[in-house]
Amino acid sequence: MAVGVSAPGIDLLEDLRARKRWRLHHIALAGAIVAFLAWCADGVNLRPGEVAGALPAIGEYFARMWPPKWEFSEVLWKPALETLYIALWGNVIALFIGLPLGLCAAGNVVRSRLVRNTAKAILNLLRSISELIWAVFFVAAVGLGPFPGALALGVNFGGILGRLYAEALENIDPGPVEALAATGASRLQIIAYAMLPQALPQFVTYNLYWFEVGVRSATVLGMVGAGGIGFELVTTIRLFEWRETGVVLLLILAMVTVIDLASTYIRGRIYGS
Amino acid sequence: MVLEIRNVSKTYPGAAQPALSDVSISVPAGQFLVILGPSGAGKSSLMRCINRLVEPTSGQVFFENKPIMGDLRAIRRQFGMVFQQFNLVKRLSVLTNVLSGRLGYRSVARSLFYSFPESDKQIAAECLARVNMEHKAFQRADTLSGGEQQRVAIARALAQQPKVILADEPVASLDPKIARQVLGYLRQVAKELGITVLCNLHQVDYAREFAERIVGMSRGRVVFDGLAAQLNEEVLNRIYYATAEEQAA
Repeated sequence: MAVGVSAPGIDLLEDLRARKRWRLHHIALAGAIVAFLAWCADGVNLRPGEVAGALPAIGEYFARMWPPKWEFSEVLWKPALETLYIALWGNVIALFIGLPLGLCAAGNVVRSRLVRNTAKAILNLLRSISELIWAVFFVAAVGLGPFPGALALGVNFGGILGRLYAEALENIDPGPVEALAATGASRLQIIAYAMLPQALPQFVTYNLYWFEVGVRSATVLGMVGAGGIGFELVTTIRLFEWRETGVVLLLILAMVTVIDLASTYIRGRIYGS
Repeated sequence: MVLEIRNVSKTYPGAAQPALSDVSISVPAGQFLVILGPSGAGKSSLMRCINRLVEPTSGQVFFENKPIMGDLRAIRRQFGMVFQQFNLVKRLSVLTNVLSGRLGYRSVARSLFYSFPESDKQIAAECLARVNMEHKAFQRADTLSGGEQQRVAIARALAQQPKVILADEPVASLDPKIARQVLGYLRQVAKELGITVLCNLHQVDYAREFAERIVGMSRGRVVFDGLAAQLNEEVLNRIYYATAEEQAA
């Protein structure tokens, strides 16, 4: 019995030494990662020295934006508002695309492997093509303006949100699901009463976050003619109207900040209760 | 007999040992039956083989002299179930949780709008009153204490208007005082409504206190079937400490 009492202590120290030996592997792995990154640096033509040299030039661009030409904001408020509309409706479209696909992709909602893999494949496709590329397609299909912008955001974000929805659903507590199955509830009823209520706060959080991202994204969609403030941004840069560019950038900063604060507040309210 | 379990065995895919081997138990209507045994004795698997949350490998279960098969929804709503972890949907109100016990009777289309007929609301309110929780009907389930959550879970099982309640370790995560209170509610409502109760427990003293009859299980087998008074030291050894060889002998 005495051996039994003292043995674990000895084993623990032995174990600790074995774990220390493992650290060599970690160092080797870290070395391999650094080597890989260095190899890739060549691929992107990384020249850190030139960045330092270019800093004054970049500073000069920003200096030219000062003082901002505030009168320009009279022209800007309309495309700025359009940017918000695009982000908002982009998210609504993303919800309608992402929710059914997300439900179909979640392993605890749908048992059929075929359905799940098909949904995942569609989500991957929507997600892997960036919203800017989608915008080019939709401008060609439905013409210039904010509508193709909202469609582009909706399709790309639908792919992202669908995947996040599916993960949120897969992470719910399975207990209530079993409890409702035991009452004789059908599959759809179980989804509505045990699964969705548990995943809903996550869904809201993701949608708020991707609305923020949407506002940032919508600011560049204008570059390909898909509406919003991006068109003004590109135009002023091309015409070297730096002081106007300054106003556009400040306005984007203001919009993103306000939305960021608002969604932080709403998220706090959801989880605080 | 309201329930007859006949030669039920269950081996989970990939498991070396069967979870249940050749279990037979007959339960007369209205009995408060405690299934006593250590963790891993197969108590939970047995319950789930009754309402087919788990498919038995062999054997049959008869409910009111008819074999349990066919329409699972219709079968499951006859068996209310209560769980160790309560398994309420925490973000929904107490009332909605109890109403979800009515889902087995309702069409999918209507329930997807979170709408229930007036008669269901009445049933839910009555069931909440039976466990003295009607005053918290509109609170969210996660605002309740453990004991209160389990009472709501009992109300949800009652809302099914079941013939049998299957309680799987209903008090394992509650302190002794609250545990006795919850078991008291379970016994009382079952008596009032004539519901048969199968209650899994691992604590001997609760079993002695509440059971009309005790079935002892060890390693997937029934090793004792009798009254609480017959639960002596020898029997407890058989339930809790028997090795596989001793059991086979």
